[in-house]
Amino acid sequence: MRYTDFTPYDLVLLAQGLGVTLWVFLVTTAIGVTIGLVWGIVRFYRVPVLTPVISFVSEFLKNSPVLVQLFLVFFGVPGLLHVDMSPILAATITLSANTAAFIYVIVVSAIESVGRDQIEAARAFGLTRWQVLRHIIAPQAVAFSAGPLTALLVNQLQVTSLISVIGVMDLAKIGANLNLRTLKPFLVWTAVGALYYVSAKLIALIGARIEARLRAYAAFRGL
Amino acid sequence: MLIVENVVKAFGSLVVLDGVSLTVKPGEVVTILGSSGSGKSTLIRCINGIEKLDAGRITVDDFDVTKPRELAEARKRSGTVFQLFNLYPHMTALSNITLAPIEVLKRPRAEAEAEARALLASVGLEDKVDVYPAQLSGGQRQRVGICRALAMKPRYLLLDEVTSALDPEMTSEVLDILAKLARDGTTMVFVTHEIEFARRISDRIVFLEKGKLITNLPTAEFFSAAGGLALPRVAQFLSKMQKA
Ligand SMILES: Nc1ncnc2c1ncn2[C@@H]1O[C@H](COP(=O)(O)OP(=O)(O)OP(=O)(O)O)[C@@H](O)[C@H]1O
Ligand SMILES: [Mg+2]
Repeated sequence: MRYTDFTPYDLVLLAQGLGVTLWVFLVTTAIGVTIGLVWGIVRFYRVPVLTPVISFVSEFLKNSPVLVQLFLVFFGVPGLLHVDMSPILAATITLSANTAAFIYVIVVSAIESVGRDQIEAARAFGLTRWQVLRHIIAPQAVAFSAGPLTALLVNQLQVTSLISVIGVMDLAKIGANLNLRTLKPFLVWTAVGALYYVSAKLIALIGARIEARLRAYAAFRGL
Repeated sequence: MLIVENVVKAFGSLVVLDGVSLTVKPGEVVTILGSSGSGKSTLIRCINGIEKLDAGRITVDDFDVTKPRELAEARKRSGTVFQLFNLYPHMTALSNITLAPIEVLKRPRAEAEAEARALLASVGLEDKVDVYPAQLSGGQRQRVGICRALAMKPRYLLLDEVTSALDPEMTSEVLDILAKLARDGTTMVFVTHEIEFARRISDRIVFLEKGKLITNLPTAEFFSAAGGLALPRVAQFLSKMQKA
């Protein structure tokens, strides 16, 4: 006999699911941003061999479905390399790599948005490539990329819901289980959707705050 | 000494500098004239190491810009002022000037800032210390550009058409400063279209034509009928410039 009513414990489950979703999001964002930044810097230094490899990997990650990448990592890699792969590990690897690929694109265009002439001036005065990156490019690139970065992260939060397919107990998976038990899809998915919505809004809000602050700092553009 | 020896620079199949040789002694003001596209900016960009040479050699006080290990030392000895100012837009006038002294020459910040303030005051910008480039007029920007170069205490000041983006009033603001620098004995390599001004401040004038230096003469001789004016290309250039 099924118990189809909602119980207070369902709220606990939903909160746990939300916790898993946010945790996966934050961890993969941190890893993805770090890797994407490093890739962008490698490209800035035009490191031979590595730069084209990174471009290729980034292209692959951007142009194939995250779900396919997830299956490849979760089902494909363990067989190939004879390693164990937990759902959460597969999710972390896949989402980090996917975020890195898009961060890379943002970093590259942010670096390219900084006028060549200033960079040449700094180089002519003897600043090293690293000093140019740190003092000339980074401050301007950060201001430039705040908007695209926020948009990306809001999107990546939604993308985390895919990991429910390989059994990670995230918000979407909890929603699916709850739905199976209660058979009240409209209510369940509305609640789950609302939780995603609130989280995404929060990210957008924080992003907008940071962007506004950077904008004030970027008043130098004389807009 | 700044020595340019048989420098060749091409972009693809376009040879922009075709065996250029030039020596600038300390204290000299050497003006480079030539029509648009003759390679003047490219020559400046080779001297400060922005462009790689295809052949030849440039040494700045014996440091060879073509040798990666000597380029940094060579760059410390020249300071460039750019046609379009090339200021760092996210930095105040003061920080624009102090960045290279602090990062490259490892000068203490307080010292570098005190000098930058003095430089700004010397060009009449003492009240613009904390202002961003976007908030300055063209002439003011270029004065900051000059201070930025001077802050490095360069042995050789490289100036690439530093007034051609300015209207006549702002041009004279900037030229007055350059005239003073010339009087003070600053060594300058001066690319310009301001013929009359060049005539007043230069020790020597060289003429670049399609990537070749076709004359290199003391100023008076350059403007004499038997000297520079004897070259049809130079005479034609000067008469065209004077009409304009
Ligand atoms: N990065 C580049 N790539 C290709 N061609 C270039 C490049 N830089 C300069 N050139 C070419 O080299 C030639 C010389 O350019 P340069 O800027 O040195 O001329 P210039 O004498 O300074 O002219 P102007 O008086 O107009 O400033 C031009 O034909 C220009 O198109
Ligand atoms: Mg030029």
